Amino acid sequence: MTKPRHFHVAGTPVPLVDGLEKVTGRARYTADLTTDDALVGRILRAPRGHARIIRIDTSRAKALEGVRAVVTGADCAQSYGVIPIAMNEYPMARDVLRYRGEPLAAVAAIDAKTAQAALDLIELTLEDLPAVYTAKEARAPDAVQLHPDKQGNLEREVHHSFGDPEAGMAKADLVRDEVFSCAEVNHAQMEPHAALADYDPERGHLTFHSVSQVPFYVHLTLARCLGMEAAQIRVVQPFIGGGFGARTETLNFEIITALLARAAGGKVMMHLTREESFLTHRGRPQTDVALKIGMTDKGKITAVKCEVVMAGGAYAGYGLVTILYAGALLHGIYDIENVKYDGYRVYTNLPPCGAMRGHGTVDVRHAFECLLDRMAHELGLDPFAVRRANLLRAPTFTPNDLMVNSYGLGACLDKVETASNWYNRKGKLPPGRGLGMACSHYVSGAAKPVHWTGEPHAVVSMKLDFDASITVLTGAADIGQGSSTIVAVAAADILSVDMSRIRVIAGDSALTPKDNGSYSSRVTFMVGNAAIEAARALRQKLVLAAAKKLESLPEDIVCEGETFSVKGSAQSMLSFQEVALAALAEEGTITVKGTFTTPIKAQGGKHRGGAVGSTMGFSYGAQVVEVTVDIATGLIRIDKVWAALDCGFAINPLAVEGQIEGSVWMGMGQALSEETRFVNGLAVHANLLDYRVPTMVESPDIEVHIVETIDPLGPFGAKEAGEGALSGFPPALVNAVADAIGLEANFLPMTPDRVLEALIKQRRAAKRKVAS
Amino acid sequence: MSANLPEFNLVKPSSIAEALAAFRDQPHAKFCAGGTDLIPNMRHGLFEVETLIDLGQIVGFDAVTINGADIELGAGISLSKLVGRADIRERFPAIVKACEKVAGLSHREAATLGGNLCLETRCLYYNQSEWWRKSNDYCLKYQGDICHVAPRGNRCRAAFCGDLAPAFMVHRAEVELVSLNGARRLPLADLYVEDGAAHLALQPGEILASVHLPAARARSTYGKICQRGAIDFPQAGVAVSCRKEAGVLQFELAFTGTNSKPILLEYREPLGPKTDADSYFEALEKQVQKSVSPQRTTTTAPHYRRLAVAALAVRLARGLV
Repeated sequence: MTKPRHFHVAGTPVPLVDGLEKVTGRARYTADLTTDDALVGRILRAPRGHARIIRIDTSRAKALEGVRAVVTGADCAQSYGVIPIAMNEYPMARDVLRYRGEPLAAVAAIDAKTAQAALDLIELTLEDLPAVYTAKEARAPDAVQLHPDKQGNLEREVHHSFGDPEAGMAKADLVRDEVFSCAEVNHAQMEPHAALADYDPERGHLTFHSVSQVPFYVHLTLARCLGMEAAQIRVVQPFIGGGFGARTETLNFEIITALLARAAGGKVMMHLTREESFLTHRGRPQTDVALKIGMTDKGKITAVKCEVVMAGGAYAGYGLVTILYAGALLHGIYDIENVKYDGYRVYTNLPPCGAMRGHGTVDVRHAFECLLDRMAHELGLDPFAVRRANLLRAPTFTPNDLMVNSYGLGACLDKVETASNWYNRKGKLPPGRGLGMACSHYVSGAAKPVHWTGEPHAVVSMKLDFDASITVLTGAADIGQGSSTIVAVAAADILSVDMSRIRVIAGDSALTPKDNGSYSSRVTFMVGNAAIEAARALRQKLVLAAAKKLESLPEDIVCEGETFSVKGSAQSMLSFQEVALAALAEEGTITVKGTFTTPIKAQGGKHRGGAVGSTMGFSYGAQVVEVTVDIATGLIRIDKVWAALDCGFAINPLAVEGQIEGSVWMGMGQALSEETRFVNGLAVHANLLDYRVPTMVESPDIEVHIVETIDPLGPFGAKEAGEGALSGFPPALVNAVADAIGLEANFLPMTPDRVLEALIKQRRAAKRKVAS
Repeated sequence: MSANLPEFNLVKPSSIAEALAAFRDQPHAKFCAGGTDLIPNMRHGLFEVETLIDLGQIVGFDAVTINGADIELGAGISLSKLVGRADIRERFPAIVKACEKVAGLSHREAATLGGNLCLETRCLYYNQSEWWRKSNDYCLKYQGDICHVAPRGNRCRAAFCGDLAPAFMVHRAEVELVSLNGARRLPLADLYVEDGAAHLALQPGEILASVHLPAARARSTYGKICQRGAIDFPQAGVAVSCRKEAGVLQFELAFTGTNSKPILLEYREPLGPKTDADSYFEALEKQVQKSVSPQRTTTTAPHYRRLAVAALAVRLARGLV
């Protein structure tokens, strides 16, 4: 039986090209790589939250039989960090340790038992320092300083003002302000961290396998921290079990594994436990949002003032980008002229935060959409009407110079309003049941990468050889989001060949062109465009070869369904193989490449930090959530979710649907049950029992609606689809709870204990009101 | 910070007598049935063990014997087998409901009745890695001398979190314990002691061999407070039975997740045809709140667990009327 052949695959549902390996268990992740000849790496972690390191004595550990290497902070004096101007972290603490769980030393030994025994033999002499665990404690006037150059423990403060916020507020018929508090969350990706480092002492070469979302950063950081030429390093990316931003930055354990391999002169495998994966963190910080909105009685927003405080943990990491994103993405979704933003990113003695799906926007969007709903209610307006009163008109630039070329928010609103039967059901459900809605957006790739080199933002190479197969080479990391599939679809579609002719090789610095990595939902947009350009270049070569063979003009050649013919004449049809061999006869193996560079006008405003938030296109989403609240136990059940997302064009609708469901589901976790918890700086949540990711039992029916606006710059018109739907869920949920039981909650997550406590407070307040 | 399973000897007796003899030879050994709780705890280094005596190979350890109206369940019966028994489902519905709320399907295939009844107590200061507990100077339950939950107290407050015990208690189950000294039988409630570090009245080398269920004379149900529909241990759980005697209803309730042992509440007040149901259940709710004493053993506030389990208890009791 022959399989049906599809040639124009863009826009049709395609199973992920690496899905078969994953569902059959054949996929090999970093921890699965053969390690018969590898030493076992283990990390000694800080037992205190803040302390001066007086001495780390490794002599007994080094003397233990079977130990091949012991390293400490003294072995790496080179700081690192994802933001070039904020590299204040060392792979292992030097002089001062700043959070419980921070790496202090590491060993490589012949087996796990010996490695553990060696860790137990390392003697620490520490001098405790006062520790601060909340932004409030850290900002207190007499608080201990985590970093001498950062007064008040402020990593970065941002003060942006666009338009005339004061005048805007003065024009409003209704002004309301509220403070929202959102707990810190972690990515809880399925695969715990792991790395395999193989150092060849004769050649001075390092081969490195890891779980990174951005192998390019790992490559640069290893070269920096090990003092090696980048040319001596090869970074390979095996299958990756999720990232969600946890693995965008190069992580301490990756550098430590490489340091151990070099010290041991061999191969070291490092498996982190789930607890260690949690401690490595880089999640979404605890965030307080003080938000003030001015609105006319018709629901038009006249001004916004927003103050955000993030407790970011002990090191800079992505912090300054997160606090900038939080302000920048107040824009780009609604038409708002007057916006004032003040952001404070604060150091605390906790594991460092970083990028997480919906980077920077989720907690601010939560506050915004909750307050919009309450103001709509107060003005007697429908929540949908208030959003519609503030829609943008594309193409446009926002007051902070973000480019908006396509805009499907209105269509998303229409979809979920109709699908949920909002008009007939809102406010009419039985007691304890409610409907809520919210909108959201996200960037399709940061228009300006943090490592600015002037190079194109993405490069894809393609090879056509004697077997008439097409090998696509990309450095983009497929972390489960389906980026390799997008590249394959783009190539197959442009070349009009069957998907089986395409092979994607991804993530090996020895083979594939550099890619900026899988973050900020950039891959489909940038790498997709580069793949299209490469495929067009290859197609042009094939068309020329076909024209020569058919004795026709290139512009008259029709390339369709693995055949080439002269326009209007089907008799002289050539097969793809024939044309491929004809083209090879001209120049041998054909290699082409395509690139993508973001236009300057997409790269944001000239104000300080103006590049953050800039993108080629925003995805837009609207969501309706239906809930049932049990007021006796505080438990919330999600009955149904309707989610619409404007992703420009769904290159692979199957993957888009999956990404939207995943975003909704992750937003649901943050909204309902997920949060990190610390006792004196010790993580008590660092396992999958206490860090409560929803289970399949809680997973509601999610009805996905795809809106296509065909973005002028997007590949086939596509924009991002993997993040935009997340930040709509938490506010839609809180708004639904308000509809169900009249509770206006200003906290996340909506755990049953918090809900019950809030209900008790609400009842007491109501009683007092009646009494007075 | 290794999560590797420590090395140990594994003994696989094929009879209870062999298991008891194995313990006599290795008095520091531990008994293991399904291992769904024991093995993760071993990975966390929560106790030292040189030898594990695997009760899973004992012939007949999962047998079900019907003696007239009484049912005797071998302690080795898996939770999924219990769920699959029509007689248990029909006559002791709380038991099946409790089984169905344990962890997930794959756990219930391996997990046993005896293992669940003898489940180790849990606490957020205890169920952590060796690195974590060492960083926190350990605790009263293991290697330390202070209970971080109640630092002024002199006992461990770790909470018993087995789902099955309350369901069996409201059906007045008895357990049969065997040792080299012979067998003894006691009400299930007497198996437990209010001490998180020593919550079982089992003597060293004593095995919980079987559970006896007397003829069912009450309707029953079970529910638990937890945030997720799978995986979670109960933050608080409650089994309720209701029997009709001389024209009035009597309730028995038992709780898990709230104390270091499962708590039995034999509610003496009868619910008759002329009783005002609302005030009856209001009083019951208050009584439940007084009877349980959840502590800071989980990240969920004790006060919430007390209120929520009382509300749930009343809801379940009303459902049985």
